[in-house]
Amino acid sequence: MSTQPLLSAQGLCKTFGGVKAVQQAGIEVAAGSITGLIGPNGAGKTTFFNLLSNFIRADSGQIELNGERIHHLQSHQIARLGMVRTFQVAKALSRMSVLENMMLGAKDRAGEKIWEVLLQPKLVQAQQRELKDKAMSILESVGLSAKANDYAGGLSGGQRKLLEIGRALMADPKLILLDEPAAGVNPRLIEDICGHILNWRKGGLTFLIIEHNMDVIMTLCDRVWVLAEGTNLVDGTPTKVQNDPRVIEAYLGID
Amino acid sequence: MVIYFVFLTISAATYALFSLGLNLQWGVTGLINFGHVAFMAIGAYSTVLLSMQGVPIPIAALIGAGLSALLGLIIGLSTLRLREDYLGIVTIGVSELVRLVAKNEAWLTKGTFGVQGYPIPFTCREAYSLNMLSITCPTNSQPEYAVKILLIVWLTVICGLALWRLWLWMRFSFREATPTELSRVVLGLICGIFVLTVYVCGALSLYTYDPRAGLMLLTLTTLMVVYIGLEKLVHSPWGRVLKAIREDEEVPRALGKNVFWYKLQAFMLGGAIAGISGAFYAWQFSVFPDNFEPLVTFNAWIIITIGGAGNNLGTVIGAAIFWGYYELTRTDFFKGIFNALHLDDTQQGAFRIMIIGLILMLLMVLRPQGILGKKEELTLGR
Repeated sequence: MSTQPLLSAQGLCKTFGGVKAVQQAGIEVAAGSITGLIGPNGAGKTTFFNLLSNFIRADSGQIELNGERIHHLQSHQIARLGMVRTFQVAKALSRMSVLENMMLGAKDRAGEKIWEVLLQPKLVQAQQRELKDKAMSILESVGLSAKANDYAGGLSGGQRKLLEIGRALMADPKLILLDEPAAGVNPRLIEDICGHILNWRKGGLTFLIIEHNMDVIMTLCDRVWVLAEGTNLVDGTPTKVQNDPRVIEAYLGID
Repeated sequence: MVIYFVFLTISAATYALFSLGLNLQWGVTGLINFGHVAFMAIGAYSTVLLSMQGVPIPIAALIGAGLSALLGLIIGLSTLRLREDYLGIVTIGVSELVRLVAKNEAWLTKGTFGVQGYPIPFTCREAYSLNMLSITCPTNSQPEYAVKILLIVWLTVICGLALWRLWLWMRFSFREATPTELSRVVLGLICGIFVLTVYVCGALSLYTYDPRAGLMLLTLTTLMVVYIGLEKLVHSPWGRVLKAIREDEEVPRALGKNVFWYKLQAFMLGGAIAGISGAFYAWQFSVFPDNFEPLVTFNAWIIITIGGAGNNLGTVIGAAIFWGYYELTRTDFFKGIFNALHLDDTQQGAFRIMIIGLILMLLMVLRPQGILGKKEELTLGR
């Protein structure tokens, strides 16, 4: 291996009672790439995501982010190291405005501690103004700026996906894990989302994407990993994976 | 009449403080706390017992608040990692535990008979040793004329700020004549009149100097400081994280916020505020274990529901309405109505609570978001 991957995981296992959801699964995500993770329903993709971000603690296995071992860290600490995830069902914070949703994403700003709010109001205000500009420019780029002051709960499914990605961007991540960014989104908006993802990648971001929509995978991904029954099946370029008989078998079954 | 209004104001302000603590926990952060009264009990007992040992009253009250926060830390550490309904069960258990300990550990708390003869701010020793505020102090303990004027000026400032806040809230409603906006104007006017009445009665009793007027001023000052502090916090990035936790705690977690620590902070701060309200409760009413029954917690829940969850101003107005109702139905006019209905004293008490239930049901049907809550927030999908 010539360069060190941004994210690598080996031998991740997780059982829920008697169900082996993920067994000995691994992945490598090169810096600056868009990596896809596909697999039939129930293959354990989302569980695998939860293990990577430590929303669920793995039974065994190793995860390294930027060469640093992270599997012992809590999920919020992992996020602070620059790996931010989104959710399969986009989670908008309904009773907060779109802008507030965005501003929540920022990290290491003054005002998230009680004493800063009470003792350094000037600093907090200045940083919040700055943050608001940043949030507005991201909203602008994803076409949500007109909705900035609406409740996030009033957004459509596709807009929520965009909001969620935008919110993740506010945290200045190195790597964003996207769980089905195109699910339940109309084709027109899917194109938009793909365009944004390619743009952000040009800006230096890395993506790991779970997706069922093969068009999206073919358009975006440099490399694809296939998960079936909780374990790695194959990996390679999208075209190679698409034509691999084992993948077709896993998806369609075989007599 | 004047001093009666002063009494009403202290009661309402004490409950407002108490409910503001719960509002931070439930309304803002979404933590289900069914044992809020435990914090009040700890605050009341600590303040009273410490000040009887000669600890200066303000320091005793602050230690009381600190101990309440400590209780919050202990409950929080053990349950905040669990799902929220567990917190509800644990808190109601803890509040009963606190009450029963106070009832049984007589060496410390004087047991069922309650603590008597503890120091009360602005009250001379003769009066509080009998625990009867109605005894006026000897003339020599009356403050100087200049001090009285200063106190009245301070009351003017507080009431002025309250009216200004009400005005800010009402201001936008004059343009449109929709029923919601009109009801806001009407409510604002009623609250304004209430504030003015408080002001007039407070100023009069400060001038003739009744110790309760001093206590009222202290309660209102504390309420103002806590209210302003909470408003600042709730509308800060810190408050934003709390609201995000209320909406869906996985989101702030995925964005790098230490959700557990934030919940703990909200729980402890809310507890400390309730602890301070406990000190005022002790000075205003009395300290018996049975004062701190779970019903008190649910009164705070009623207040928050009336006012609108998550809204600090609504909580304060809710407390005023709650106490206004309670005291109004004790007047001779309502007594007359109740007597005409052939209700005896116990039945009257139950009847008054029944009506509160009825009002709450009507509120839930007609205005489920509470008086100051936002209707849109209830209709949003997850």
